Amino acid sequence: MNEKELIIQAQSGDFKAFSRLIESRKDKIYRLAMKLTGNRDDAEDIVQDTLMKAIDAIDKFRMESSFGTWLYTIALNNIRAHAGDKKREALRPIDDYLPGSHSESTSKELFDWGDPHQQFERKRLNDMIETALAELPLKYSAPFTLRYIEDMPVKEVARVLDLSLSAAKSRILRARLALREKLSNVFREKNNERL
Amino acid sequence: MKGCSKHIQQIAEYIDGELDEALCTRLEEHLKECNNCRIMVDTLKQTVVLCREGKRERLPEDIESRLNDALKNKWEKKFGKKS
Repeated sequence: MNEKELIIQAQSGDFKAFSRLIESRKDKIYRLAMKLTGNRDDAEDIVQDTLMKAIDAIDKFRMESSFGTWLYTIALNNIRAHAGDKKREALRPIDDYLPGSHSESTSKELFDWGDPHQQFERKRLNDMIETALAELPLKYSAPFTLRYIEDMPVKEVARVLDLSLSAAKSRILRARLALREKLSNVFREKNNERL
Repeated sequence: MKGCSKHIQQIAEYIDGELDEALCTRLEEHLKECNNCRIMVDTLKQTVVLCREGKRERLPEDIESRLNDALKNKWEKKFGKKS
């Protein structure tokens, strides 16, 4: 049975069809929620809330997007609700992440990382990445995570987040630059320790 | 990287293989001459590689089992016990 047939079956009340539709997506929603909230309990609640809301709304789903896109949209609304009141640092404009491109700054020369795996164990690197990602504002970490961790095409990222294509591209780039800078600072410190 | 900020969006698209061929060639010419932009390409590339290498979290089994029960209950309330 293809996705469309499963949706029609589910809309007529077939729980098995619904279960098949969500089977491979439960872990994806959990992973997305973990990345974006950095909190296991929140992530579990988000998966449950998302799927409960999907049951509430399944008969209203008109197949104007894929089922996966629809589910991600519900999940992201839940993630926003969970993460909404947590303070996160604001990101700077793109140019501010580029050394020498603003206010005559010469102190932020670009730093060649070398091989990060030679500087840190895999687990430490993973922890650093998770912390850095969870510290970003959701409006940037969500498009970045969908694009590069869930491998979603930019057009679909824009659709899930209800953004223009250029806004989605810009947010993904700012998140990438901010993460690059956070990691760069850690690698630079590590490098200085050795000298 | 002074004066190179105009290249940053192109650099991101270049890394993701989304830059059109003509611009790609021009950017590669620039990269030959600009060490900072080369470092930017390399570190932005590694940023994504490191993020992708992170844990592939899975919903814990006990949570999944409880979730399935909760979903089934919710479903039966909505549609009745026909499935």
